[in-house]
This record gives sequence, structure tokens and C-alpha cells, in this order.
Amino acid sequence: MKIKITFWRVIALLILLAGLYATFLRFTRGLGAVTNLSDQFPWGLWIGFDVLVGVGLAAGGFTIAAIVHIFNIETYESISRPTLLTAFLGYLLVATAIMFDIGQPHRIWHPIIMWNPHSVMFEVAWCVTLYLTVLALEFSPIVFEKFNLNVPLKVMRTIYLPLVILGVLLSMLHQSSLGTVYVIVPDKLYGLWYSPMLPIFFFISAISVGLAMTIFESFLSYRAFGKRLELNILVGLARVLVVILAVYLILKFQDLRLRGNLPLVFQLTEESVLFWGEIGLGVFLPMILLFIPQVRVKRAGLFFSALLVIMGFILNRLNVSITGMLHNETYFPKWTEVAITLSFVTVGFIVFALAVKYLDIFPTEEIDPHNPPPLEQIGLSGRVILGMWGVVLAGFIIYGLAKDNRLEHPVEAAAIERKTDPLRELEFTNLPADIVYDKSDMGTVTFSHETHLLLVDNPQCQPCHPKLYDYNITPKQQTPLVGDVMHESQSCGHCHNGTMAFSIEEECTLCHVE
Amino acid sequence: MHPQSNSEGYAILTDLTKCIGCEACVQACKTINELPPAEHPSKLSATTWTYIDRREGVNIRRQCLHCLDPACASVCPVAALHKTETGAVIYDFNRCIGCRYCLLACPFEIPKYEWDKALPRVQKCILCYEKRVSKGEEPACTAICPTGATLFGKRNELLDVARQRIKDHPEIYVNHIYGVAEAGGTSVLYLSDVPFEQLGFKTAQTTPYPQLTWNILRHIPTVVSVGGVGMLGTWWIIHRRMLIEKVNNGELSEEEAFGKRGETP
Ligand code: SF4
Ligand code: SF4
Repeated sequence: MKIKITFWRVIALLILLAGLYATFLRFTRGLGAVTNLSDQFPWGLWIGFDVLVGVGLAAGGFTIAAIVHIFNIETYESISRPTLLTAFLGYLLVATAIMFDIGQPHRIWHPIIMWNPHSVMFEVAWCVTLYLTVLALEFSPIVFEKFNLNVPLKVMRTIYLPLVILGVLLSMLHQSSLGTVYVIVPDKLYGLWYSPMLPIFFFISAISVGLAMTIFESFLSYRAFGKRLELNILVGLARVLVVILAVYLILKFQDLRLRGNLPLVFQLTEESVLFWGEIGLGVFLPMILLFIPQVRVKRAGLFFSALLVIMGFILNRLNVSITGMLHNETYFPKWTEVAITLSFVTVGFIVFALAVKYLDIFPTEEIDPHNPPPLEQIGLSGRVILGMWGVVLAGFIIYGLAKDNRLEHPVEAAAIERKTDPLRELEFTNLPADIVYDKSDMGTVTFSHETHLLLVDNPQCQPCHPKLYDYNITPKQQTPLVGDVMHESQSCGHCHNGTMAFSIEEECTLCHVE
Repeated sequence: MHPQSNSEGYAILTDLTKCIGCEACVQACKTINELPPAEHPSKLSATTWTYIDRREGVNIRRQCLHCLDPACASVCPVAALHKTETGAVIYDFNRCIGCRYCLLACPFEIPKYEWDKALPRVQKCILCYEKRVSKGEEPACTAICPTGATLFGKRNELLDVARQRIKDHPEIYVNHIYGVAEAGGTSVLYLSDVPFEQLGFKTAQTTPYPQLTWNILRHIPTVVSVGGVGMLGTWWIIHRRMLIEKVNNGELSEEEAFGKRGETP
């Protein structure tokens, strides 16, 4: 088979090569070498995009599974497979991404046996592990079908419903829990995003993006393979999407109002621009667009709106995990971080494409070789692309305008006024016991901190510590410095030189007691 | 599992009015934990677990506050961090998967990571738990402090000391013991003559941080059981309706739809 060289294939290849090199660096040099993460910014692009966005984009799996199998709405049967595939792939990629991000990837199984039920992360780890298993099982009939394996196919049919319910439950739990992860940082996450309601917001937005992804994928696979979903199915999904976006919007603003954070929305700051990008362009605009029947029933309109929802969702997760986290340090991903993230996206696309090609994912009736639909219905029409770029450009311009308005941390303006001066009112209440040097033939020498402090006007530690002597909880009886070196103005001789204190060359018996 | 505020545990009381900034504690910490020497200007790092934060003549010894209900321990998915009976919040590297949630969650930004290592550890003050406190000795830092600015003792006794000092010298001390209530209480307490906000102390909430997430997590069993039953019920009702419809439309015989015994629809 000859592989055609196309523009996108070359790009994909380049990304994968860069990603491979970055992977090599990641596992040989460690996180510090390949990321811009720091103690102040411990989570970056890999958590924000690969994990948070990845899990969300895969949410179509459980949303559609619930619609088809629990609500028994059979019209949507045909989309359960593509969404299942996205979910399965998505979670596999997320699990791999986690292996890149955690410092000890070989211990990724630890949460299974080392429990901490108080940890959100522990719960997420369990849910994702179980859900991945459930997805693999749900997906297995498609593979069994391919190879005509009837016995396992039958087994799967009988346990399918409980499996679906389990899958939906697990998804509900961890989709929302990813929001709960940030509930413990009320002081660090900016007011536009922090809320104890985060789990609910994460859950609702996961459903909306799951639906949007289904629409989006249908278009992509049509462009690539001529396989897609019926328009009326997509229109139905779009209707549900409108309702969910509306619910999200109302809850979000209600929450902002109740927490007294509404004013933040209307200040021109870097954060508020990103917030409007997320809410205005990613929730409000597609909601209005999809509400208009003329837009909803056109493939281009559907595709464009779905794209907006997806971009808004991505922005939301990045806002919560990166922009919204107030730190004194800024973070921008290193090229290696970007390369690995892009590689994950590329691998996702490639595997999805292969699966659509070789397994029965999209219904085949859709292909009509004799009467292909006219081109402008395909989705990525000139107008859509223009619109998309327009939105992105406008976003950048406004963002640029607001950049200097990033909220400053409140400066500690008040001058510090001391009520006491510890250096003046010195009290050494915890001085070490006397140090006795008795190994010398010259007679025993006893060093007393008290005496030394008493004899100077302005007692300080510095002349001796830590330059000459380390602070030590168990003072050494014989330091190498004591002995002959004291005649070379070290050790005691450093001060006992005749100018700062009496000279060691004169009054031996003052210290060396017989 | 969930260490509640045990006022009987040990604690550290650092009195900023007595600290001369000699850094004896910093060095003692370095020595006992075999850490490389501090860099100046200093800050907390994977190799510096305590340092002197110098602000216009005030010397502030920073370190892990050993919260009574620590956020770091609560978020750790593998319980690598935990609060011991002694009061120390300690770390078990052999459990840690390196997710760095503890770095994110600690309200005081204390835990640090060994970013440049291939198998990095989380690092922070562990109150000399292994080397001294578990053997009945006080931590290296408090043992060496020449002015007694940083003291070790039972938490409730140190609280009495702190209250007494404020009472004896109200003209010096601000009337606040940092750590009594912050983050639900900590095992490292501070006294100061300058308002704490001016010294970069976080005005942390007084309910323990772990409660924020626990209030949500504890509902999981309910969500699972109600959700599971609810979904099964939904499926059952809808499925049955559809069968009935099919029987009524003549697409299925009653026997095919409801089995041999033919329950009444
Ligand atoms: S100060 Fe931070 S690291 Fe120390 S116990 Fe509290 S939460 Fe944990
Ligand atoms: S980095 Fe280690 S200690 Fe910190 S939360 Fe993760 S597993 Fe626990």
C-alpha cells in the first residue's frame, strides 16, 4: 500500500518526532529539564490540557451511553460507537499523559493498594482505572464482531446494561471530581473560577462538550472517510446542547453573584478577558447560534457552534488549572511540554482514523457514492474558517489590551514598625553548655559562651558562627581548628591576637588550667 | 486516618521579638538532614526546609506549620504524607507517586519538589521526626536556638506560654497567636510585635482546608447508590413501556415480551 504524502501527514510526522525526542528527555533528565514547572507552579499544561481537557473531551462516551441505553432513545444508537471510541481512546491517552506528568510513573498503581479516601485524587484515580476497564469491555463487542467471535459477544450482551450504568456512574463521579480537585485551593484560584460548586460546573460542562465532540467528530470523519451521522440526529443533540449550555450559564452567574464575585466579570483584566472568551464565546454564543433553527439545521452552523463549545471548554479547563491559579510566578509551557501534548492529540487523531477505517464505527449506510452531497455542506467551509479565525483574532487583540491589567497582588504597603529590638535586648536563654577541651597536654581548656558574650559590648554570633564554627547541637570536643592552628590566627587565635582580645601567645594560663 | 486536632501533640513556638536572625536553626536543620548549604538570599526549597525571612529588621523563621488537619496529607492519593501523634507531618517517599497535589494544596506553599532529579521526592520540614522527636529529643532547630526564640514543647503548654507573654507585655505583642486557628490550627505557632499581615503571613481560613473537599467527597456513597438505582429504575420503566407499546401495536406477542408467566402489563 502506498502512503500518500499530504500536508497534514508531514505535520503529524514532525510533531511525533518532536514528541518522541521530548519523551526521551522527559524520562532521562526528569521533569525539571523538560517543563517550566516550579514549586510555585506544580501543575502545568500536561494536567491542564492532557488530563483535564482530555477527560472532558471523552465525556461523549458516557453522555451518549446514557441516552441510548438507559433512556432507551434508539435513534441515537448510531452515535454510541463513535463516542465510545473517543472515550476509550481519550482515557487511554489521559492515562499515558499521567505517566508523563507524575514524578514516579512506575508507581502509578499505588492508589489501588495504598488508600486515602479523603483525597479527591485517590477517588479520581480509582474511577478512571475502573472506567477504563468498563470502556474496554464496552468497546470489545466491536472487535469481537470484526472477528466473528460469537461466544464473548453473547456474554457481553448480557452484562451490557449493568456495565453501561457502572460506566455512567463512574463518569459522573470523576468528571465532577476533577472540579473538586480545585475546591481545596480557595486562596489560590481566582474568584472568577473558584467555587465550592466546581464539581457541578465540571460535570455540566463535560456533558455539553461530550455532545459537541460528537457533532465535531461526525464532520471530521465525513471529510476523511465519507462516513457521518444523519443530520437529524445531530440537530437533536444540538437541541439538548442549548438547554445544557443555558443551565450552565445560569448556574455560573448565580454562583458568581452569590459569592460576590460578579464585579470581577466587568473589570478589564487579563482574567476577565479569558473569562469572557470562555463564557461569551464558548457558552453564550453557541447557545444563541444553536437556538436559531436556521443555524441549527445547517451542517456548517452546527459544526461552527460545536467548535465554539469545544474551544470554550478547553479555555475553561486551562483557566481553572493555569491562568486562574494566582501565583507570584508566571508559567508558560516549554517546547517539550507542547511537543508531548501535541503528540498526544496527533496520536488520538491517527488511532481514531484507523479505527473508523477498519472497524464498524460509523454506520455505513451514510455513504452514497453515486450522489455525494455538495461541498458547502461538508462543514469546514470558507465561512466557518473565516468565522473561527475572526473569533481567535479578536480574542488575541482584546487579550493584548488587557494584558497589562493583570491583577496585582495587594502590596504590603504599611511600613513595618517594631515595638522591640531583639538585637538590643539580647537575652541568651538557651546557650549551649560549656565546651571542655581536655585532650591537650597543655591542660584542660573550657570554653564558655556566657563569658564570651558578657565580655563584649554588643554580643553577636557572627564573629565565630558560622564562619569559624558550625552551629552544632552536639559540639565537637576536638575540632581540627583547635590546636596548632590557633597560632596562625585561626580558631581561638582569630580573636585572641592582642588587638581584639588578649593574645594567646602571652597569657596561656588564663585558658589552659593545670 | 483523619487526625483530629490533638492538642496533646508537640509544637513549636517561634517568638519573632526574640529572633536575632543568627541562622543557627537553619544550619542545624541542614546538618541533621544532610542538606547542602543555603544560598543567599534564601527561600524554602527542596534543600532548605527552614530559613530566615528578613523583612525590614524582622527575622521570621519560615518552615512547615505542621497543620493539625493538614491539607497536604488530605490530598495525597496514596497517603504518603500523614500527621503523627507527635504532631509532626511526615512523608514516606516509598508511597509517593509524585503527583505534586500536596504542593498545590498546601495553603502555605510549603512542600517543595526535587525537579532536577529523575526520581524526585517531595521535601519539607518533618519536625526531625525520625532522627529526634520519635526518640524523645527536641528538633535540632529549637535545641540550638541561643535566644530561645523558637521553643519546642506540648502544644497546649506552648499556647499557655504564648498567652502569658501577650498578657505580660501587651505593649510589645500583637494580640494574636498565629497558628491557634489558622487553617484549623497548626503545630507551629508564632508571636510577633508587628501585625502578621505585614510580615507576609497568610490570612488563612480557620476551618481546616480538608473539610472543603471532604464536604463533597462524603456524598459519594449516596450519589453512587441513588444514581445506580435511579438509572436502573429509569431503564426498567422506559423499557417496559416500550415493550407494552410493541405488544399493543402487535409487533410482539405478550409471551415474547414478558415471558411465559405473562405478567399483566
Ligand atoms: S503547612 Fe503545608 S506542608 Fe505543612 S502540614 Fe500544613 S499543609 Fe502540610
Ligand atoms: S506528590 Fe507524593 S506526597 Fe505529594 S500528594 Fe502526590 S503522592 Fe502524595
